[in-house]
Amino acid sequence: MKSPAVTTAQSLPDPQVLSAADQSPLLRAPEKVHHILSVTIAAACLPLLAGIVLFGWQAALVAMLSITACGLTEWLYFRVTHTPAMLGRTHAYLTGVLLALTLPPTTPWFIVIIAAVFAILVGKAIFGGVGHFLWQPALVGRFAVAVIVPALAPLLPAGTLSPDALSPEKWGVLTPQALLLGNVENTAKPENYQGWQHDYKYKNAKTGRTVNPLEGKDAYALEHPADTLAGLSRGQPRYSSLARVRTDLPNRPPAALTSMPPMWDMFIGARPGGLGETCAVIIIIAGLYLIYRNYVKWQLPFAFLASAMIVAAVAPVHFAGPNKSVEIVFFPLLSEGFEVGYTYVNYQVLSGSMLLAAFLLATEMTSCPVTTGGQIIFGIGGGAAAMLLTLYLDTPIPAYIAVLGMNTFTPTIDAIWRPRVFGQRHLAWLLKSRR
Amino acid sequence: MLFQRFGKFDGGIDLPEEKEATIDEPIRPAEGLSSLRVPLSPCGGAVAVPTVGVGTQVAAGQQIAAGRDGGVDIFTPLAGTVKSITTAAVAVGREQLTAPAVELTDLGHSPPIPEGQTVFAWTDADSDALAERIAEGQLTTLRAKPQPLVQWLADARAAGCDHLIVNAIQGQPFVTADHRLLVEHGADIVAGLAILAKAAGIPTVTIAVDQQRVSDYPELLSGTAEYSINRVALPRKYPISVDNILLEVLTRKEVPCGGKPGDIGIAVIDAATCFAAYRWVACSQRLNGRVVTVSGERTSRPGNWFTPYGADCRVMARADEDGPVILGGPMIGQVAADGAVTSPGVDAVLATDPTPPGTPVQCIRCGWCRDHCPARLNVAMLNDHYELGHVSQAERLGALSCVECGVCSYVCPARLPLTERVRQLKSSIRRWRQTMPLFQDVAEKQGDA
Repeated sequence: MKSPAVTTAQSLPDPQVLSAADQSPLLRAPEKVHHILSVTIAAACLPLLAGIVLFGWQAALVAMLSITACGLTEWLYFRVTHTPAMLGRTHAYLTGVLLALTLPPTTPWFIVIIAAVFAILVGKAIFGGVGHFLWQPALVGRFAVAVIVPALAPLLPAGTLSPDALSPEKWGVLTPQALLLGNVENTAKPENYQGWQHDYKYKNAKTGRTVNPLEGKDAYALEHPADTLAGLSRGQPRYSSLARVRTDLPNRPPAALTSMPPMWDMFIGARPGGLGETCAVIIIIAGLYLIYRNYVKWQLPFAFLASAMIVAAVAPVHFAGPNKSVEIVFFPLLSEGFEVGYTYVNYQVLSGSMLLAAFLLATEMTSCPVTTGGQIIFGIGGGAAAMLLTLYLDTPIPAYIAVLGMNTFTPTIDAIWRPRVFGQRHLAWLLKSRR
Repeated sequence: MLFQRFGKFDGGIDLPEEKEATIDEPIRPAEGLSSLRVPLSPCGGAVAVPTVGVGTQVAAGQQIAAGRDGGVDIFTPLAGTVKSITTAAVAVGREQLTAPAVELTDLGHSPPIPEGQTVFAWTDADSDALAERIAEGQLTTLRAKPQPLVQWLADARAAGCDHLIVNAIQGQPFVTADHRLLVEHGADIVAGLAILAKAAGIPTVTIAVDQQRVSDYPELLSGTAEYSINRVALPRKYPISVDNILLEVLTRKEVPCGGKPGDIGIAVIDAATCFAAYRWVACSQRLNGRVVTVSGERTSRPGNWFTPYGADCRVMARADEDGPVILGGPMIGQVAADGAVTSPGVDAVLATDPTPPGTPVQCIRCGWCRDHCPARLNVAMLNDHYELGHVSQAERLGALSCVECGVCSYVCPARLPLTERVRQLKSSIRRWRQTMPLFQDVAEKQGDA
């Protein structure tokens, strides 16, 4: 007698998938893209503030214009195309800040706008927005105006735009008395420039009155230190005799290169350059903060700077020889003694835009390789290229061109530098056999 | 050194531990259960056929269903009355299946884990006798994806394994069930381990525990010395508790891309299964339940409960409101579906709110997923291939090596569901290999590996 309630095998349904764990993991780390971009903006604002202090209100104007123009361009582009990949314009503001850092404080307003439009449209939008671009957008904008300005200047009415608006012969740096509020274009050049904090007042022997050559002026008119240094490597006779050791000057570090500003000025940023390029100490602090926050791997800026320094230490330069001859010196670090060579290498690294490129521009997450090894390759290549361009080619923005060049290779580096995946054979991607 | 110390692996993260609420709670019998829905397919295979009719009075430990096609027989955890044949949601691995279940009401007293009285001299039995005895027990493994213990034994023997590793590390936040079992029944676990090793004919046995908890496991020391079992304490870095990573750390061997631990001659088991195996083989006790950690900020009774199979997860969690309940740990677990019951694969029921993942935005290539991936996968690039639909490219990058630990999704600042995407890529690759077998020849002809 079989119980009628017993179920048979046929009446039982097979197990059906009800739900899959498509939400796992159910915990998430707190940091979001928005935080990364905001913190990077905050870090990039440190050199910007230093630039505003050192170059006055014109620098602030350039920065505001650049940030606004970037934001507006992105907003307009979004209105037209509705590309979703624009991420609430935080990235546009970051691009604006970075672009401002690279521009000279006296850049004409329409050049800033052209740079911003290029940065957003060409650098970012045509690639599909945040996360998709190949080149660092701010550098695309900077590169565009570096090319456009000399070409555009002859076409405009005379006096509107100087062909060397972005790399003038004489740059202004505010004197310590006129910081923040001075006019950086109201310049004077004291004879025998001794340094930013030097007191240039002297007593006229005939009249007995104290004369201040900077009376009524806000800024020193200085030559870009990178141009001065370029004379050494490119063998221009004007500069090649400058490389004599002079240690007899009071209150100065041992000077290998007499017409350069003192090393301390280079360090605190009282030297000509783009408005965020000059203040080495602040750039390093901003970079270290980003490294501390894990938004930048320390390997990239370190490899960039180390490679640039090594190239500077070994690449041949023209030094003045006996009897006003010019001789080519290989290994400048060794040939002129360690102290002079060390100073020379430091000047090379601090005088251009190397630090800004290494800490804030090359480290843009999207345009640098993903793996640590790839980033080291990227840094070594970028640093070497930047230093070689600085030394031997008359380019206005060598470090930025080097970063843009290495950005081009980022997909290749990512494809080649692959750590061995768990369970795969060594160099599996290189050897033909599968598994 | 009482516990050997071992090495590291690339990647991984330090997760918040969140175990304070239950780490010192002793194992207690489950309370407040008014009905059970004992799943008839705890491993997801063919459904066992009920042998009792509706309305039957059943005693605790009575067989109520007969397994078929390699499935296990089902026994009642508690005495009660069969009310109906219904369905229940059972967590098996990464999925929840809706499967038939026997509903029991008028439940008897929910007992604690009984004292073990040795009735079978397992030390004198040979390998085959032990395997036969295990087969009689109709046990399942108590891993996230359970399988019949007989099946596990057969796989280990077929693969010719020479190393048995007990994964007794609970790396996920909140989960403490195996930890309490090791504290309270450490000797039984070690004996169960020796039984399984003997049954599978595996000479080398290693038990891996959490370095931080070593001082809580005094019972392991004498037992492991008796059966010459290696003891290893490993640092707590997630996902060391994932099998493939644990094997790499312990043996320096890597499970091949898309393979199983058996491929490198290693069998992996967990502490709860060893305990159940010992209690059956030596003491003839079928536990029909497992220790489940109940924790989370919304539960009113955190603790480690010895829970019969088929208890409703919502009742177990005893959450105040209708919030989500998580089965398994928060990293590889899942949100309980309606009608989810405890089964061998569920070691934790958490009444905690999942972090809202937020809107995914586009990847900014920060590289954190790659930096933290224990399998050293370039997850950002895999995500690109996912978005473009490049399955073959994803295979070339080694997507099949993914261990699905969830770290990439955890760290992703763009909130992309990376783990899920890679998981879908893996299943696509497997499907694609079946449907397009000639592609392999094309790839080799073109010379790209």
